[in-house]
Amino acid sequence: MSQPDPAGAANELTSLRAKAEKLTAQLAEEHKMAELGRLLAGIVHEINSPIGSIVSNNQVIIRSLEMLKNALASGDRTALEKAGRQVETCLSLAAIDKIACERISEVVRGLKTFVRVDSADLRKADLNQQIASTLKLTHGQFKGRVEIETDFGELPPVECHASMLNQVFLNILVNAGQSIEGPGKITVRTRVEGGAVHISIADTGSGIKPDDRSKVFAGGFTTKPVGVGTGLGLSLSKRIVEETHGGSIDFESEVGVGTTFHIRIPVEQKKKAAG
Amino acid sequence: MSTNQKARVVIVDDEEMVITSVRAYLELETEFEIHGFTEPEQAVKHMESHLVDIAVSDYLMPRMSGIQFLARAKQIQPEASRVLLTGHADKQSAIQAINEVGLYQYVEKPWENAQLLLIIQNGIERSNLLRELREKVSELDTAHSSLKNVQKRLLQAFL
Repeated sequence: MSQPDPAGAANELTSLRAKAEKLTAQLAEEHKMAELGRLLAGIVHEINSPIGSIVSNNQVIIRSLEMLKNALASGDRTALEKAGRQVETCLSLAAIDKIACERISEVVRGLKTFVRVDSADLRKADLNQQIASTLKLTHGQFKGRVEIETDFGELPPVECHASMLNQVFLNILVNAGQSIEGPGKITVRTRVEGGAVHISIADTGSGIKPDDRSKVFAGGFTTKPVGVGTGLGLSLSKRIVEETHGGSIDFESEVGVGTTFHIRIPVEQKKKAAG
Repeated sequence: MSTNQKARVVIVDDEEMVITSVRAYLELETEFEIHGFTEPEQAVKHMESHLVDIAVSDYLMPRMSGIQFLARAKQIQPEASRVLLTGHADKQSAIQAINEVGLYQYVEKPWENAQLLLIIQNGIERSNLLRELREKVSELDTAHSSLKNVQKRLLQAFL
């Protein structure tokens, strides 16, 4: 029988704790990648139409310019008239190309705010704008099925880790979309309440069963099929909102009616002691 | 393909830019009559009162999906060819479309103009052949029944 070794046990505990923390961080990263993968499918859909348009328009414009060039060289009146009409078409196609490029840029900008490299930094952010760009990313998943209504109040700049909060918004929005079978609606509302910003995300989905409500924020809990949910989203969201930002997250839900998530983020972050 | 009648193409996409681009290309390269709709319901109405050779539809649209639209199109004008032009690149929707609405072709966005044109041309030819076939069958039917009548009268005359 070996003697109890308090120092050794303490060491072992510390290393176990470090291992657990490392695993939690790894899981969080994996969850983020899984979400990104799903998002990418939506984004690909979002930019396929504008890219298709631009490529097609480019071909038409080149052909039209050739027509115009030949008509000018020949000086033939009917050819010139035809080319003149084609120039009008080209002008409208060029206008469409501009809109198409803006659409693609918007999606890419949204993606950038989502995966900002300097995410560790606290900075002042316009949460309405953050939510709007997160909504752009989910557009492809919801289109044709879920209507999105935004009711943005005037908000002060909020000191936060914007990309982390975007993950929270995205998570809840994707959950909301998945809880809706067939057509439905998601309403996003923002308001200032005292020293905090209150974001509510309401869906007309299936609701959360009373038995499941206490488990919603627990890591590893999911009612979604394998491959759809990791069961990490909301536990991660809770940590980002409460531990990282000193805010709060809760929900109300009625089966068959829908669920509303409430997120409150303080406008100013308390200065950390280590600072 | 009948030469005196312009081929009629219906394009449905909730994004105006897609319709405009496809229209500009087809008008430059062909003599087709193009009817573009951002609302599938409008396209359904159009097909209820106008003969169409081919219907090209987006998949994901608010209120009515491309598959639902093409299913309606099939009911209204079974001989018109049906093409799904979609950015929603998953096999499941393609298989569903092929099984449920007897899709002629499935094209992914971003599309290739030359490929789309070829598909549309072949689709038009197919629908024309189907219509011709139906006409011939009904001509045959008429001929057959009039022959039967003659036969009946002949038999009656002799008996």
